[in-house]
Amino acid sequence: MAHLAGLGHALPERVVPSSELAALLGVTEEWILGACGIRERRWISEGETAVPLAEHAARRALTRAHLVPSQLGAIVVGTGSAPRTFPGVSADLQRLLGAPGIPAFDVPLASVGGLFALALAVDLCARTGPVLAAGAEEMSRVLLRAPLEKETAILFGDGAGACVVAPGDGPIAVVDVRLGSDGTFADALALSPDGPLVMDGRTVILQASRKLPAAIRSVLEPQGLSPADVDLYVLHQANLNLLRGVARSLGIGEERLFVNVDRVGNTSAASVLVALSEASEQGLLRPGARVVLAAFGAGFSWGAALLHVAG
Amino acid sequence: MTPAEEKIRLTLEPLARAPIPDDADASLFELGVLDSFGLMDAVARLEEAFGAKVPDADLTPRRFETLAKIEAYFTAHAA
Repeated sequence: MAHLAGLGHALPERVVPSSELAALLGVTEEWILGACGIRERRWISEGETAVPLAEHAARRALTRAHLVPSQLGAIVVGTGSAPRTFPGVSADLQRLLGAPGIPAFDVPLASVGGLFALALAVDLCARTGPVLAAGAEEMSRVLLRAPLEKETAILFGDGAGACVVAPGDGPIAVVDVRLGSDGTFADALALSPDGPLVMDGRTVILQASRKLPAAIRSVLEPQGLSPADVDLYVLHQANLNLLRGVARSLGIGEERLFVNVDRVGNTSAASVLVALSEASEQGLLRPGARVVLAAFGAGFSWGAALLHVAG
Repeated sequence: MTPAEEKIRLTLEPLARAPIPDDADASLFELGVLDSFGLMDAVARLEEAFGAKVPDADLTPRRFETLAKIEAYFTAHAA
């Protein structure tokens, strides 16, 4: 099918602890921890954007894939907080990488954007050669627009993740990818130009808690696998409580979940790629391991991918 | 109190973050009985208690906002 040839991620330097947000929002740090399990997140500073983060993540992924930007066949960027309606972050990233002439486009699906970018790259790379799939977010810029809503302000962080997807066999095989969307819920998680983030948290959680396990099973069952056969789950780091709920639903122990939401917050489209890159750096993508990625985001849209690390 | 409402109260009791109201039409959300994650767990437990799977299309908070709405839904859809 295709494989992941290199992974990378980048986070802003500025650390925003939940104690700082608690004071800003008029809540306690304990309330934030109970609501989402996030102790700190990274936010870009005034005047910064997520584009340099995307470039940094992309260059790390390219280096690890032993490729240079001119060898890319396409660039796909998942995002939900692009400062411009068009062109997207992909255009800036393409310019910074110095890879003109190849198709570059955004996938504006917020939290599931990184996974959709990866899925598109899997299909695209057979025609174009190696594809850079990335997720880049500057959610803090969106959150700080009035009115400041505590339910969303506590969740999100900024960052970028990237992977190079190449055709054929390689160190991390993409065994299968399944995606889905249901526009019935388009208004439950939405962002208009310059508008506040709209998030019906109860609906998001209810639907995500159902769709994520179903998406995961949809990539496992055709392979004759059950959730217990997976060594590592790298899920969209939405909220620690949701991750635990998905683990319960799948009947797996929480030790199989990769968790960084406590340190970086919910980085939306970047989340699953940042998490996968961190998992790789921590040596968690062990030879022979089966790894599942899954995410849920705007639309609603959702998906899962089954990876197999070469033995 | 109907047997169905009693079953619902027993099911929700371990998840409740505030006293379950006597008024079956009171909002469980506004009273702080169920937060987002409590609702997620509540639906799973109610499905088990009533032997009914809530289809994804029905999985919206307003269907489960009050004891009366929960009872109406699961009474209509119980196995």
